[in-house]
Amino acid sequence: MRIGVFICHCGENIGRTVDCEVVAESCGRFPGVVYSVENKYMCSDPGQNIVKNAIKEKNLDGIVVGSCSPHMHEKTFRKACADAGLNPYLFEMANLREHCSWVHEDKVEATKKAIDLTRIAVEKVKRNDPLSPIRVPVTKRSLVIGGGISGIQAALDIANAGFEVVLVEKEPSIGGHMSQLSETFPTLDCSQCILTPRMVEVYQHPKIKLLTYSEVENVEGFIGNFKVTIRKKARSIDETKCNGCGNCQQKCPIKKKAYNEFEENLAFRPAIYVPFPQAVPNIPVIDRNACTYYQTGKCQMCVKVCGREAIMFEQEDSFVTEDVGSIIVATGYKLYTIDKKPEESEIKGYGEYGYGRYKDVIDGLQFERIASASGPTSGEILRPSDKTVPKKIVFIQCVGSRDEAKGFSYCSKICCMYTAKHAMLYKHKVHEGEAYVFYMDIRAGGKGYDEFVRRAIEEDHVKYIRGRVSRIYEEKGKYIVKGVDTLSNMNVTIDADMVVLATAMVAQPNAAKLAQTIGMSYDKYGFYNEAHPKLRPVEVSTAGVFLAGACQSPKDIPESVSMASAAASKSLVLFGSDILEREPTIAKVNESVCAGCFYCQKVCAYNAVERKEIKDRNGNVVKVIAYVNSGLCQGCGTCNAVCPSKSVELIGFTDEQIYAEINAL
Amino acid sequence: MNELKEKAKELLQNGTVKVIIGFAQGTIPNRTKPFIVRSVEDAEKLVFNKYCVNNLAMYLTRKEFKRNGVVGIVAKGCDVKAIVQLIQENQVKKDDVYIIGMNCSGVVSELGEEFNESTVATKCLHCMVHTPHLHHTLLGSLEETPKREDKNFVLMQKIDSMTAEERFDFWEAEFERCVKCYACRQACPMCYCEKCIADKSIPRWIESSAHTRGNFAWNMIRAFHLAGRCVGCNECERACPAEIPLSLLNRKMGMTANKEFDYIPGMNLNTPTLVGTYDVNDREDFIK
Repeated sequence: MRIGVFICHCGENIGRTVDCEVVAESCGRFPGVVYSVENKYMCSDPGQNIVKNAIKEKNLDGIVVGSCSPHMHEKTFRKACADAGLNPYLFEMANLREHCSWVHEDKVEATKKAIDLTRIAVEKVKRNDPLSPIRVPVTKRSLVIGGGISGIQAALDIANAGFEVVLVEKEPSIGGHMSQLSETFPTLDCSQCILTPRMVEVYQHPKIKLLTYSEVENVEGFIGNFKVTIRKKARSIDETKCNGCGNCQQKCPIKKKAYNEFEENLAFRPAIYVPFPQAVPNIPVIDRNACTYYQTGKCQMCVKVCGREAIMFEQEDSFVTEDVGSIIVATGYKLYTIDKKPEESEIKGYGEYGYGRYKDVIDGLQFERIASASGPTSGEILRPSDKTVPKKIVFIQCVGSRDEAKGFSYCSKICCMYTAKHAMLYKHKVHEGEAYVFYMDIRAGGKGYDEFVRRAIEEDHVKYIRGRVSRIYEEKGKYIVKGVDTLSNMNVTIDADMVVLATAMVAQPNAAKLAQTIGMSYDKYGFYNEAHPKLRPVEVSTAGVFLAGACQSPKDIPESVSMASAAASKSLVLFGSDILEREPTIAKVNESVCAGCFYCQKVCAYNAVERKEIKDRNGNVVKVIAYVNSGLCQGCGTCNAVCPSKSVELIGFTDEQIYAEINAL
Repeated sequence: MNELKEKAKELLQNGTVKVIIGFAQGTIPNRTKPFIVRSVEDAEKLVFNKYCVNNLAMYLTRKEFKRNGVVGIVAKGCDVKAIVQLIQENQVKKDDVYIIGMNCSGVVSELGEEFNESTVATKCLHCMVHTPHLHHTLLGSLEETPKREDKNFVLMQKIDSMTAEERFDFWEAEFERCVKCYACRQACPMCYCEKCIADKSIPRWIESSAHTRGNFAWNMIRAFHLAGRCVGCNECERACPAEIPLSLLNRKMGMTANKEFDYIPGMNLNTPTLVGTYDVNDREDFIK
């Protein structure tokens, strides 16, 4: 072989601790190396030209660049090799920066190590084979999971670009948490007024297939070629017949049995219901636990009043499969419930605040419903217990968030803003009322955000107290809030009529299950992990899957919408080409020695190992062996590790290559 | 004994099986040999006694038997464990094997010896399957298994209490005798790979010369490959001409698998194999 070695100074990054001249000179003496030089910046245009020219002039058939991490510039140099007519997989990179110069101080020793690292790469490149990328077609269709504002935005963006979208929502209507909000900070515009036009647009869009009351059951396949199974939960309604007249809801005799989830349990709903008047689609669903028919077999009032024979008591869950090229996960959040300590959880909770015990100790979303014009009190601020106007409200921030001892260490991010908004809305509606806010810090970073909080304090005279609340108890119809003002170092006692807890945003309870279905990683709180916190914030480690909104971390509406548009544009980038090229570094089975124990199949995280029958010339099955689906394999190498006879190898990282690298040390 | 012969004849005559793997009398007393029955006349030669030590399950994965359709096999409880594990690992089809289960209260440790409490095989002392747990027909009767101190277990405890250096010295001395004849592999029902990693030359994982390094590599790789799979038939140790106490390694690995994952190989057809399963709740703290 004729191998060329190119050592990079990376400005001072490598050159400071590694004597690059010595490295280049030493490497020039390795067997097989015919050309060895160093340069200030190998990744620069002149640097790349050195490689390209050397390939042509010196007739090189193997290239080793000793520079930074392959994460940074492997693509750059592979491209340079390809431009010069050399197969890009006959190139290897020795990481002299992250693995050497950045972590060592002794120049002599670091130089020795740099030579070793380069020798390893030279031995590897000697055993490299020319490879060509795997080409797979792209299904130009997207799946969006979650019909909140993030999912709606992502779906509309993709659909408006002319590609089909399947939007899956687990609730009977799209809209998500945003549809529950009263007004939105920092402009105080009505949440429903800005959201519902988008919901209608989704419903009417010819490119969007809307599946509500549905959940993703299974995901198979890979980027550009996912096959998704969706469970359509039984609505007990024939969607093609129902015209949403609402008669069934009005006549349903169940009045005070089922709590209204949309109203955050502050009101009741019938057994057959649409969650809220502007629901999309405006098709009801029967709550089988509440419905008299499912309990006793009697009633059927809805059947009698339905003029279109749309009630289907016997309907069962059905499954649909959709072929899509990309998946956008926008499953949103849940609010931390603090009524009791969750079982088998290390979270201690806030029993001392009495949520769940005291009717007038409520959480943020409940206050949103009370303040909402369409809510259970028609927008009047009234206590849930006795429907009187509270004269004094205490708001407590950071309940569950920023409290490792009792909840979670992360900041829930939006609570400072919505608490200011809540206090403001209260003051606007109850002019003589007093609003107190217990806070730790006020985090109001964002356009117009700090001004908004200042307005609450200065114009609306909301009283901000810096400190925590230790206990809340009921006394003579009042809620005694015991807290501390850490600025004046005084204990504070407030006899409030109502308490609003700004509880933390937490991941959806089944977040981990969905992550395992799709193949995403998630943090210890259940929020999905992005591929890179700065440079790939909407991608996940599985190619073709993107994140939008609060399923990744707590977010407000503008952030969720921007992220949704970013995820949509990432999908559209994928749809920009008909063929997708994938790395050829995947597993391959040596069919002559595979014994068919299928341990590889059991450990494969991507379901890429299949069974293949080997037949003799008469068509009789001689043996059954493992076979790797090149579309699904991600090249992780787990099969390689588990195979007892080493009958499956990772192309580009074969045992022979790795062994040669180790032996070069 | 007659019931075994009769059963074998019946199976061959009614076409249930074409071949039965069993035991026949050896060349000297107190000795048996594996025997392949292909005809009703051959069935007369079948025996079953305290000297039927071999684990015949290892024949099931051999190519010569795989093309015979349903194969009958005379199996003790410990052999059945191997068959179950082989079925779990896709090496034998459940419907391709007819198990003639033999009640067994123990076998001798060395062929040629009288069967008594001093010669009963160590594996029989702690056997849980004197009556085979999976069989198509069950023959023979049970007696009481002779009792003796499990010296193997005592030695294992002693090794456990050694320091890492002492343990290394112990095994170095044992492995020094290894000549890499691979008799352990050939006798093992679980070593069914078409091409053993020891035979690979690119790259050569295991040095083939009889050097401490290669000896360690071979014996440790084999022990790891058997972790959570070894059914404890101890055929490897019996086959070893250098008398290396291989069962200590395998038993220790098996006990760890049992303690950490509550798994005993070869006991249940329907449980997934230990190495082949992943559970998010799996403990990780056993890696120290």
